[in-house]
Amino acid sequence: MNQVQSTKWMSHGEAGLAIFFSATAFLCLIAAAKALDTAFAFHAMLGLAVSLWAVFAIINRYFDRPFALPPQEINGRPNYNLGPIKFAAAISVFWGIAGFTVGLLIASQLAWPALNFDLPWTSFGRLRPLHTSAVIFAFGGNVLIATSFYVVQKTCRVRLAGDLAPWFVVLGYNFFILIAGTGYLLGVTQSKEYAEPEWYADLWLTIVWVTYLLVFLVTLIKRKEPHIYVANWFYLAFIVTIAVLHLGNNPALPVSVFGSKSYVVWGGVQDAMFQWWYGHNAVGFFLTAGFLAIMYYFIPKRAERPVYSYRLSIIHFWAIIFLYIWAGPHHLHYTALPDWAQTLGMTFSIMLWMPSWGGMINGLMTLSGAWDKLRTDPVLRMLVVSVAFYGMATFEGPLMSIKVVNSLSHYTDWTIGHVHSGALGWVGFVSFGALYCLIPWIWNRKGLYSLKLVNWHFWVATIGIVLYISAMWVSGILQGLMWRAYTSLGFLEYSFIESVEAMHPFYIIRATGGALYLIGALIMAYNLWMTVRVGDAEEVAPMSGSRPVALQPAE
Amino acid sequence: MRAILTVQNFVSDFVVTAWTPIFVGIFLAIVAYALWPRNQAAFDEASRLPLREE
Repeated sequence: MNQVQSTKWMSHGEAGLAIFFSATAFLCLIAAAKALDTAFAFHAMLGLAVSLWAVFAIINRYFDRPFALPPQEINGRPNYNLGPIKFAAAISVFWGIAGFTVGLLIASQLAWPALNFDLPWTSFGRLRPLHTSAVIFAFGGNVLIATSFYVVQKTCRVRLAGDLAPWFVVLGYNFFILIAGTGYLLGVTQSKEYAEPEWYADLWLTIVWVTYLLVFLVTLIKRKEPHIYVANWFYLAFIVTIAVLHLGNNPALPVSVFGSKSYVVWGGVQDAMFQWWYGHNAVGFFLTAGFLAIMYYFIPKRAERPVYSYRLSIIHFWAIIFLYIWAGPHHLHYTALPDWAQTLGMTFSIMLWMPSWGGMINGLMTLSGAWDKLRTDPVLRMLVVSVAFYGMATFEGPLMSIKVVNSLSHYTDWTIGHVHSGALGWVGFVSFGALYCLIPWIWNRKGLYSLKLVNWHFWVATIGIVLYISAMWVSGILQGLMWRAYTSLGFLEYSFIESVEAMHPFYIIRATGGALYLIGALIMAYNLWMTVRVGDAEEVAPMSGSRPVALQPAE
Repeated sequence: MRAILTVQNFVSDFVVTAWTPIFVGIFLAIVAYALWPRNQAAFDEASRLPLREE
């Protein structure tokens, strides 16, 4: 094991990456000098600064590190790589709060338009993609990267593949977020929902994502555990499919390589079809498969029970893989998309109900025989309630994909309510639950700073979600009914602005719900911060009925 | 060239007409694998994987 090396050498990765970033720094400098628009120049300067920093950091790390790279194992046990996980977990909390805050702002803008401040950078049109990308890709994405890197190491019993590669994935992904987010504020967008970043950000994400796939795959390949645990199947499906979706939806020709604007290769209904093939499968594989992976690891760990049915997990995994890919056209009911494609999308969406509920049943029934833990452990309660929201949202989704229902719900707030019962209830809660587990584990703390604060987070956020989704249901159905109401003479009964006016009270209720959700997240941030700083506050004075402090089983 | 195109047409025709039964067949094979009684013990073992780690 302990070979004595006479000379210290840079690894191929260190040397290669240092050269790569020197080259990107040079290219960014040229791009900044020749830029055709301000936003592109700004992004080129950001790229230059970050590339130079990366070169410095790589060389500095090389001089600071010992001769040998970190060992794969120490005393026969895997030497897990936790640094990139810590970074991704910590920054996910930051992005989450940023994303929820922007969400609260745009919700308030809909109730009180003066909050657009009559400035282009703070207008609803630019802040809305900032909100969606911040919560989905920045918050959710970092949670997925952090948990996937943790779960794949633990369930394969092997150190994460690569030395700098995991850092490249984590930092590179967050640089993509920075480029995307600042781009939206400056008006840079492809105008494709959930795929707004322009061509250069897309190219960068492709490099980062392929590295992510390689790190994950190579870790799986060198595993010490013969079986690949089901959570890793879901993570792998998420990583592979997002790569395919990203490449499929983003082929575009830049007007100039020195400008931010590009045009999509195919236009019209083909573009719409591709866009929603992308959009709905992003829901299916980013917001579902990825977070189901979290469910399959963190719920059994927290409940200290194996998953209810491993067979069901195999069947519903493959059912999701086979069925999801054709559900996208339900976003284009009653449009120029051919009728058969719409019906096909609807049919596949309805069939998806079964595999979705397979996952929900598996998550919930893992608690069977241990339901009392829901009362005593607020973290587990958060995880389990997230699965309940998953079941609810995946029941509502197929329902809304039915053309007759969609004729009422489409373009109304019902869609927004549906999305948020999934996003706040399922994705948000399962992420919070995972962070509450993960942070003490990776910082080697015995437990959370305060379970009481978790309880507060749970209830404040749950009330927030209920306010949010019930307001949007009422408002959405009201909107849909007002738009289709006719007078006895066959004229439309309401003008559009009358329906806008009718929404006002619901928009205030929705913003209130969002504010509560944000407050919950702030409570979590404080709790996690204190967990890292001081550890478990209740260790000293254990709550009645909690586990004994002494006699921790030796590992 | 014509031979290549003929083969390509044959392959694409076959895939276009046959992918539904092929996929259904693959899926049914997966279901059979998951429900096969002899695999039960291995799946029970696999489900305990996260609980066994150090």
